[in-house]
Amino acid sequence: MQIDQVEQLSQWLVATDIAVLELRGPGVQIRLRHDGARVEQIEEVAPAAVETMSAQVPRLVAAASSVGVFLHSHPLNDAPLARPGASVRAGQALGLLQIGALLLPVTATKDATVIGALVADGEAVGFGTPLVELEPLDEAL
Amino acid sequence: MNADTPSISELGTSALLFEAPGDMTLRAQQRIWALAKEVARWTEVREAVPGMNNLLVSLARPPIHCADLEARLHAAWDAVEALALKGRLVELPVVYGGEHGPHLADVVAHTGLSVDEIVERHSAPVYTVYALGSHPGYCYLGGMDPRIATPRRKVPVLSIPGGAVSIGGSQTGVSASDGPSGWNTIGSTTMHFFDPTQDPPALLQPGDSIRFRVEKVIR
Amino acid sequence: MIEILSASALATVQDLGRIGALQWGVGTSGAMDPLALAAGNLLLGNDEGAAAIEVPVFPFDVRFTGDCAFALTGADCAARLDGTPLLPWWTHRARAGQTLQLGLPQPGHWRASRAYLCVAGGIDVPEVLGSRSTQLRGAFGGHEGRALRQGDRLGTVALGHEQVATGFGLVPPALALPLQVDGVAAMRVLPAAEYALFTDTSQQVFWREEWKITAQSDRYGYRLAGTPLEPKAAIEMRSHGIVPGVIQVPSGGQPIVQMRDAQPSGGYPKIGTVIEADLWRLGQAPIGSRIRFIETSWEEAVAALEQSRRWLAEARRLVNLQRG
Repeated sequence: MQIDQVEQLSQWLVATDIAVLELRGPGVQIRLRHDGARVEQIEEVAPAAVETMSAQVPRLVAAASSVGVFLHSHPLNDAPLARPGASVRAGQALGLLQIGALLLPVTATKDATVIGALVADGEAVGFGTPLVELEPLDEAL
Repeated sequence: MNADTPSISELGTSALLFEAPGDMTLRAQQRIWALAKEVARWTEVREAVPGMNNLLVSLARPPIHCADLEARLHAAWDAVEALALKGRLVELPVVYGGEHGPHLADVVAHTGLSVDEIVERHSAPVYTVYALGSHPGYCYLGGMDPRIATPRRKVPVLSIPGGAVSIGGSQTGVSASDGPSGWNTIGSTTMHFFDPTQDPPALLQPGDSIRFRVEKVIR
Repeated sequence: MIEILSASALATVQDLGRIGALQWGVGTSGAMDPLALAAGNLLLGNDEGAAAIEVPVFPFDVRFTGDCAFALTGADCAARLDGTPLLPWWTHRARAGQTLQLGLPQPGHWRASRAYLCVAGGIDVPEVLGSRSTQLRGAFGGHEGRALRQGDRLGTVALGHEQVATGFGLVPPALALPLQVDGVAAMRVLPAAEYALFTDTSQQVFWREEWKITAQSDRYGYRLAGTPLEPKAAIEMRSHGIVPGVIQVPSGGQPIVQMRDAQPSGGYPKIGTVIEADLWRLGQAPIGSRIRFIETSWEEAVAALEQSRRWLAEARRLVNLQRG
């Protein structure tokens, strides 16, 4: 992660009530702690690894809105809801989150191109787990 | 089914079927009417529907085990007295044979009787409405001459019209609307047997009577 | 408000059935897959028994003439709203003027044949003898007592409050409560009164062989094809009340399973009854498909009903949490 990005995250953290921010994704793992006065970086992946991975930081991630099981397709068929390279509209389902009998959509928040799923089909996930990475179509946003 | 004791069988867990023993008689049917009246009051019973010397006990919610319910049914049957319902008499004009009676020839073939003999024996009695069933407003009648009894058809017919007068085994009845039937259709009549906006919606009920009047015989 | 665009016949308005009218010869009618209808209703916060449209023949198109929250359950028929693909077993929102198209039931992990279009509030047709189900034989109930035709307009029962939450769904019970034998859809059957009157060979055939659902199958009854079943002697019976699920065997030896629009009484020998809890499985089995029967007991059948109730109750609980 670039130093100015960490700076940006730190500033955002100061403006909130959040005590710990943990950001995880391919190529990045960082923890920032805000004790009320200042923000301290408490963990980071080795610099060498970060350099090569920084180019892979996803622009946009659809995350789990709840604890559940992540499904790539509807249980009735095997057709993946988000194929790599596919264009998706804002609000379109990229996958499903199963909570018992209930199914919730994992949706794109913006029009985007699908890069790929971050979690295997059928895997249990927690609240906030990044599930699908996307490349937004409009970079100005 | 034992000739002396009633039998009770299961229709899934939705209903029990109680069958009275012995020959089909009006007296047995009157006891079935009485049993229906008694059983209809039980909390687990949704509806008690008389058939021909039998009773369908439709269950609101099946008990986990059915033995108790069956025992109570047997006991209730032993206790009931015949309910001699006396309703009204309705006369129906019938055209026998021709296109209205496509299976009259099968009744002739099975019984060995002529068309006229069959028509005479079919139209002579006053029939008691034993039960309703089959389709809205349809009456199962008791009192048919056993000499014109003809088995139900090997393959049911996909559609016979409302008003069709038919023989199935030892029973006879009139269709109240178009639909499939396994019976032998010998004639046709016109009558409105059912109106869902009326209360009760059926024209006839158990205990009423029907007489068939010969309007025409087409040979 | 829904306008029927399709000319094809057989779609009907159904709810969970007409109860208490057997005494007048009026059968229950109601959805062939009551679990799907109930699920579609609970997804929308409706009473489970609210009226919906049962669609057995595809493609089937409707236009929404007013804004409407709706749910699609039953067979996954690759539905599209103004061309946008919709998830099956899901709630959606339509705006006035949008067209909903149901395509052919999709091959997939469940072979099904009927879809249910449920709407927030339920389809608004008059109740007749306590139900909104279509009584086809008697030509009353549902929409004018008949199948829906092109140009028919159906209203939806008005809701007191406005927005119904949409955008979530359920795992179909076919996947949550699977039942198969040797790779073929199966239904549990309780032997009926005349079971013992069939030959030993026929009894074994009944349980061990596959039965094909012939093209002469509909809401009245499913005519099955297979090795003929033979009684030990000719059986002539008195007319007696029957219920959906009863498997009759006329003298030709080919069984007929009585379904939702069946006559409420009959006189053919009965070899068994498909249990109430499994009628939806049979109601969804497509024409041409094969099925198997599983021998069961009263206690197991009651437990199966309880299992379906629990599935619905759990689905309702999770959906209501989601609807907030």
